[in-house]
Amino acid sequence: MNKFFSNRRLVIVIVCLIVSFGLMSVSVAIRNKRSTPPLIQQFGNDVVGLVNRVIAWPVNGLKGSVTGVSDLLNTYQENQRLKSQVQELAQTKVHDQSVSQENKRLKQELKLNHALTDYSPVNATVIARTPSSWENQVIIDKGSAAGIKKNMPVLSGSGLVGRVSEVNRTNSKVELLSNSSESANRFAISITNKSGSTVNGIISGFDNAKNQIEMGNITSKTKIQKGDKVVTSGLGGIMPAGLLVGTVASTGTDNYGTASKITIKPAADISELSVVTVAIRQAQTTN
Amino acid sequence: MLRVTKLRYGFPIGLLLFFYLDGILGAVFPKQLFSYPYSMSSYLVVLWLVLSVFFEDQIHIPLEIWAAIAGGLFDVYYTGIFGIFVFVFPIVVALTRACYKAFPINFLSGLLVHFIDVTIVCTLSYVGNLVVHLTSASFADMLVYSLAPTLAYNLAAYVILYFPIQWVFDRLKN
Repeated sequence: MNKFFSNRRLVIVIVCLIVSFGLMSVSVAIRNKRSTPPLIQQFGNDVVGLVNRVIAWPVNGLKGSVTGVSDLLNTYQENQRLKSQVQELAQTKVHDQSVSQENKRLKQELKLNHALTDYSPVNATVIARTPSSWENQVIIDKGSAAGIKKNMPVLSGSGLVGRVSEVNRTNSKVELLSNSSESANRFAISITNKSGSTVNGIISGFDNAKNQIEMGNITSKTKIQKGDKVVTSGLGGIMPAGLLVGTVASTGTDNYGTASKITIKPAADISELSVVTVAIRQAQTTN
Repeated sequence: MLRVTKLRYGFPIGLLLFFYLDGILGAVFPKQLFSYPYSMSSYLVVLWLVLSVFFEDQIHIPLEIWAAIAGGLFDVYYTGIFGIFVFVFPIVVALTRACYKAFPINFLSGLLVHFIDVTIVCTLSYVGNLVVHLTSASFADMLVYSLAPTLAYNLAAYVILYFPIQWVFDRLKN
């Protein structure tokens, strides 16, 4: 053991440790403060991402053919179920159309260009996922060239799944809602109950074991029930309002019994992502 | 010696292929690899580096440097936090070299070495993330939810890929 930790080796080990910690803290600082990573890192990521797409193509093809077969086996049952939903959807769609037309007309009368709910979607494909237990992060194939900026919300299917954490020219990283790190972004959300009153708050964490979002530090006395819809409130940052986050799963008080805590069942399946949508808010941003 | 064999192309190509597969497999099979609360991290690139130590024989590949390059790419492209894997991968290679010198390597003892290597990669990446406050998981949680599934996945990958990679190295060396 004495020989292993000879003077020279010990010095090298300590220098490496110091350099490692230094590099880590610098990159975390850059990640938290700046909207884009340094140019050299962006360039490196773009080159690596390009080859990533080439290699992902055959793997995705293989998976596509396997799931194709299993999809075919489920087709009959799914068809039955979907038929019943289609009837309902047609009505909703027509109603939606007339409401949005009315909304547009009213906005024109008010000379309101973009409300908080307006956003333009950018579709992107997931090309890789960070192989780490500590960062629930995926890499998508659109970057600042497509108008994506840091902190924009990312949707999949019916609801919010995360936010953009790093933007390169042609690809970007998305931190998922399930990321429980201390530096993860807190989304501003609001819950509207059956009687129409609203509770505003922020997402405070994620329960990995139950796969549920937690919303804490609520002091409002408004009664919230199981099944109430949770949407983004659009307050602060570059988040549009009205993006579905999920439905209320349970309500209760926090560990200290002082404020109430609400758990939310996410609307989108966070564990199965292949195509995502980045929502770019059209109303002016506050930062 | 590296210059005269086909390994000079073959080794970097294999390294890059496994590097990308780590991320792509996670994206293609998220349900299987990241079923909450367990999460398996795929470290196939480590497997390639470790098996390169076993199979390189007289051809000396500058593995520590390649490991640092792979680790740097891993940091920048996958995690976005530079400074963890760029040091961890060379440490793993150095450790494997030391084991290789200490006792004869065959399929089973190699499995043990790979077991130790993956444990080190997992633990050091956990410590790194803990230091920069990217995770608040406790050490016990890390053992149960991250280390155990990751070991299972990576040792299975070792068992499946040991002989194919040996065959590839034999072909490339001649």
